[in-house]
Amino acid sequence: MAETDGGSPTKIARGLLEARLILITGKGGTGKTTFASALALLAALRGKRVLLLEIDSQRPALTPVFGVAPTYEPQQIRDNLEIANLTWQEALQSFLASLVPSRRIVRLILSNRMVGRFLDFTPGSREIVTLSVLGDRVGDYDLVIADLPASGHAFSLLDITRSAMGLFRSGPVRHRAEELRELLTSPTTRMVLVSLPEEMVVNETIETYQKLDRYELISRPPVVFLNRATLPTFTDEERTLLGRLCNSELSPLADEFVRAGRWEDELEQATAASQARLLETLPEPPLLVPPAPPGGIPREVVGSVATHLGRLVGISRRELRWE
Amino acid sequence: MGVTRFNMEAWLDRTNLVVCVGAGGVGKTTTAATLGLCGALRGRRVMVLTIDPARRLANSLGLKNIGNEQTQIDLEALGLSTDGELWAMMLDSRSTFDGLITRVSPDEVSRDRILNNHVYRHMADTFAGSQDYMATETLYDLVDSGSYDLIVLDTPPVKNALDFLESPGRLINFMDERVLRWFLHPYDANAVFGGKLMMGTSAVVFRLLAYVFGRDFLEDLATFFQDFQGLYEGFVARNDAVVKLFRDPGTSFVTICAPTESSLDVAVFFQEELKRRELPRGGIIVNQVHTCEGEQHDAKEILGALTRTLSEDLSPNTAATLLARLGMAHRRLRALGQAEAALARRVRACGAGGGFYQEIPRLDGNVHDLESLHEVGRRLLVPADVL
Repeated sequence: MAETDGGSPTKIARGLLEARLILITGKGGTGKTTFASALALLAALRGKRVLLLEIDSQRPALTPVFGVAPTYEPQQIRDNLEIANLTWQEALQSFLASLVPSRRIVRLILSNRMVGRFLDFTPGSREIVTLSVLGDRVGDYDLVIADLPASGHAFSLLDITRSAMGLFRSGPVRHRAEELRELLTSPTTRMVLVSLPEEMVVNETIETYQKLDRYELISRPPVVFLNRATLPTFTDEERTLLGRLCNSELSPLADEFVRAGRWEDELEQATAASQARLLETLPEPPLLVPPAPPGGIPREVVGSVATHLGRLVGISRRELRWE
Repeated sequence: MGVTRFNMEAWLDRTNLVVCVGAGGVGKTTTAATLGLCGALRGRRVMVLTIDPARRLANSLGLKNIGNEQTQIDLEALGLSTDGELWAMMLDSRSTFDGLITRVSPDEVSRDRILNNHVYRHMADTFAGSQDYMATETLYDLVDSGSYDLIVLDTPPVKNALDFLESPGRLINFMDERVLRWFLHPYDANAVFGGKLMMGTSAVVFRLLAYVFGRDFLEDLATFFQDFQGLYEGFVARNDAVVKLFRDPGTSFVTICAPTESSLDVAVFFQEELKRRELPRGGIIVNQVHTCEGEQHDAKEILGALTRTLSEDLSPNTAATLLARLGMAHRRLRALGQAEAALARRVRACGAGGGFYQEIPRLDGNVHDLESLHEVGRRLLVPADVL
C-alpha cells in the first residue's frame, strides 16, 4: 500500500483537492452526488478549472443540484465549474472518431444495426469506451470529478481496465485499457468512498476498499467520508441518567423525550463504532461530516456539506455563495 | 370513519412471487428477508433470492455468507413453531452460468470449449449485466422446481430502470440468428458467400470492428457464439416464461424506499415504469420512518422532578444538561419526522391505484438477526393504507 497523507482531516481534505482526477463511489444512498458536487464547488473556488461528470445517467442526479440537466458536452454553470453526463452513444461516437479519421465511416459504423447489437452485448466494450472518454477529459481540466455508480457497479467499471487485458489482446481498445490502468493508479488520481454510520454501509465501504487494493486499481489510500456523522456530546453521567429514565415509569409525553434522547445517543454510538471500524481497516482515518438539516432539497444538502468541507480547506460560507 | 385498510397478511398469503425494487440503501434486502421470514412463519415454503453483489442478505439474516446454493435458515432460534421453511440464496453469476452451460452442452468437449473460452470467462466474471441474465435463469429454475410456495426476489440497486428485466432481452437480441450469421460468416469455413455478402458496408464495418477491438478478440467472440448457437432456443423459451411470470396475477412488484428525497425520487420513477410496463404493482413500503408525535413541550416541565430524583448521586448539573439535550433531540426528531411526512405524501400520490402503502417505523439499532427481522415483520404485516 502506498504512502498515506498522515492523519489530520485538514491535510487529507487539502491533499484531495490537489488531485487531477477524483473518482467517487459508495453504497447507494450515501451521498455520492452530494460530495462530488461539494468538492467540485470548493475546488472551483480555489481557482481550479473543474469538470464534474456523471457516467451515462438516464436520470442525472446532478440536475436537481445545479438546476441544469448535464449534457454530453460540458456546460459551464459557474466560475471555473462545468458539468457533463458521459452518455454512451455520444461517448462511442467520439471514441470511434478518435480512431477512425473519416467522419463518414464513423457514421456508417454507428448506423449499422448489427454493430449496435454487437456493442450492446460485447462484454466490457461499454465500460472501456466510457472510461476512455473520461480519461480524455482529464487533460482538458485542472480537476475532473467523476460521480461513479454505486460501489458494486463502480468496481466492475474500473476493473474492466484489468480484465480487458485478457480479453482484448491487440488493437486500440487494448492500448486504451493499458493507458486507463495507468491513469487509475497515477498518484494524482484519488478515490473517494462515501460511507454512513451504519454497520452494513461500513462493511461495504471496507469491502470496496479491499477489492480496489487487491486488484491494484488504486495506488493511494482512498479518502473516506463518514457522512451524517453525529459527534459525541453525551457525558457518561448524562448517559447513566438517561438509562435510569428509560427504566422508569413514564407518561407518554415524557417517553417521547426519552425516546428522542435514546435516538440521539444511538446515533452517537453508531458513529463512534463506525469510525473505529474504518480506522482499524483503512489506511487513513475517515473524515466525519454532520447531517444536513432535515427536509433539505439536494441543493441545500450540497450547501451544508460544502460548508463543512470548506472549513477544512479554508473556504468560508460567504465565499461559497451557494445557498 | 370506516376507512378501508389493506390486509397485508392476506396479500402475502396469495402472492407467489414478490419482486422488490427501489434505490440502493433503502433497506431493500432487509425488507426482502423480512417478507420471506413472514411468509415462512405463516407456513409457506419461501425462497429469498438476492442478486445484489454486496452480501447484505447474509448480513441481515445474521449469517456470515450465503452462496450460490439454496441454504435453509434455521428458524428454531426464534422459538416459534411453524410448518413453513425459509431458504435463501445469493446469486453468483459465474457458478450459475457454468451450471447452465454444463446442463445444456451436448457433450463434455463442447462444454469445456465454452468454459475455457476467453470471452465466456470474462463475460461470466466481470460483465456487469451478467448477473441480470442469470437472475432470470435462476428464477426460472426455482419456479420450475416447484419447491417453493413463495419466492422473494431482491433486485440490485439500479437507479435508472428495471434493467434486470431487460438484459435477457439484450442477450436474446444478440443471439438472434440473423445477427449471429452476419457476425459469424467471415469465420465460417463452410459458408459459401464468395465475397458477395461481405462486400460493401458490412465488410467495411467488420474490418473496422476487427481493427478497434483486435482480431483475436473477434475470433474468440466468434468461437464463443458458434458454440453458443445451440443454446439460443432454450434462452428464448426461458425468457418468455419469465416475462409471463412477471405479469402473472400471483406476482407483486413492491417498491421500497426510505423517507429521503433521493430514494423517493427513484420510487416515483419505479411507479411510473411499472405502470408503463403494465406489471402488477403490489404496493409501496417506506422504511426507517422517524415518528415523533408530541407537540412542542418543555422538557423541564415534564421530566424535571424525575430527573432530579434520579440524579442525586451524580454531578449537580447532570439533570439540567440532560434535560437540555433531551429538549434539543426532541426538536430535531420532530423536525425530521415532519420533513419525512411531507416527502412521503409525494410518493403516495404517484402510487394511486397500486396496492398498499405501508410505513415501517425506524427500529432502534441495526437489523441483522432473525429476531430483529421478526420485529420488523410484525410492523410490516399490520393493516396498511390502500393506495
